[in-house]
Amino acid sequence: MNVRFALPALALALPLAACASSTDATQVAVSSTATECVVSATTAPTGAVAFDVTNDGDQVTEFYIYAQDGETVVAEVEGIGPSLTRTLTVTLAAGTYVTACKPGETGDGIRGEFVVGAAPSA
Amino acid sequence: MFANYLIGLREGLEASLVIGILVAYLVRTHRRGLLREVWIGVGAAAALSLAIGAFLTLGPSSLSFTAQELIGGILSIVTVALVTWMIFWMGKTARFLKGNLENALEKAIAVGSGAVVTMAFIAVGREGIETALFLWAGISAAGATLAPVVGAVLGLASAVVLGILFYRGAVRLNLRVFFQWTGVFLIIVAGGVLAYGIHDLQEAGVLPGLNNLAFDVSAAVPAGSVHGTLLKGIFNFSAQTTVLQAVAWFAYVVPVMFLFVRMAFRGSPKPQAAASPSSAPALTR
Repeated sequence: MNVRFALPALALALPLAACASSTDATQVAVSSTATECVVSATTAPTGAVAFDVTNDGDQVTEFYIYAQDGETVVAEVEGIGPSLTRTLTVTLAAGTYVTACKPGETGDGIRGEFVVGAAPSA
Repeated sequence: MFANYLIGLREGLEASLVIGILVAYLVRTHRRGLLREVWIGVGAAAALSLAIGAFLTLGPSSLSFTAQELIGGILSIVTVALVTWMIFWMGKTARFLKGNLENALEKAIAVGSGAVVTMAFIAVGREGIETALFLWAGISAAGATLAPVVGAVLGLASAVVLGILFYRGAVRLNLRVFFQWTGVFLIIVAGGVLAYGIHDLQEAGVLPGLNNLAFDVSAAVPAGSVHGTLLKGIFNFSAQTTVLQAVAWFAYVVPVMFLFVRMAFRGSPKPQAAASPSSAPALTR
């Protein structure tokens, strides 16, 4: 064990320190197919949102959350194979976002609007 | 299932080829004793990746996007540094072989066991977490369908087979030719890893220019195609390459290739091995 070996081990261990708890997150289901990107809710309260992205198509897909400009990536999950579900948990501040499924891992994707914090908070 | 197969192939190919080259290198320089270290590095990276993947998939926590991209970026840059270092072992070896200095080889390219473990660990670990997350997602879906996880495992197995075939071919080559051409190959691979890391950092917002594309050939090289998978898996070729990625690729590949070719294809440490160009045509053996 030397310093060179410790460095990559540290890099691999780093994400564990940066984990976000998803137990109290708002759950949103996403279904991605070749032609559709169905998001079960288009609003959520401010805070953690867990997107359960299921690939119901037959191509590999990706799911992105962009800022309102539609260009700045807020979060993404890549490499979701057919029949698989991957969860993307992200803490969102109040504002308008753009969701996108990218079947075939290319292009601008099938986009939709997602509003955070606008829903009446109890 | 075929799409999941291609993901497995893509994720495993680069690691498999780099390990194949590393093993061929050790075997051909009579360092079989260090093979154990290769498998320690591979095993440690695979086990750690699977454990982290399981923790993130089955536990109550998930990986934040920024952390994920940061890991991708950091590991890519560490990989480029290590592979570059490996490339210059090879250049040095080819140079000594030209001068028929195989006895001097031992001292010139002494490789520590720590270096071998690290190289193997990083080669597998770089995409290990991503691959593990994908595998665990497949296992989680196994209640509904086994197809994704079977496809992914077959894809990874195919990557390993290609690595073994690459190794078999590599050990048959003339030794000097082996070091020269694996070096050239690894420079292109490392350039791709660097560009991949740059893209991760662009997505994380650490570097600008995510939407400033140098070219977009995704119509000709779709990600889901076999040729797209092989180009992505071996060279990290991205059909939508940003200007910054392209600049980084050339800024790495051009000078490193120049230095490597000068070292491995021409230079020789002993003057008598380098015949002067004017007398070369007269030399008949």
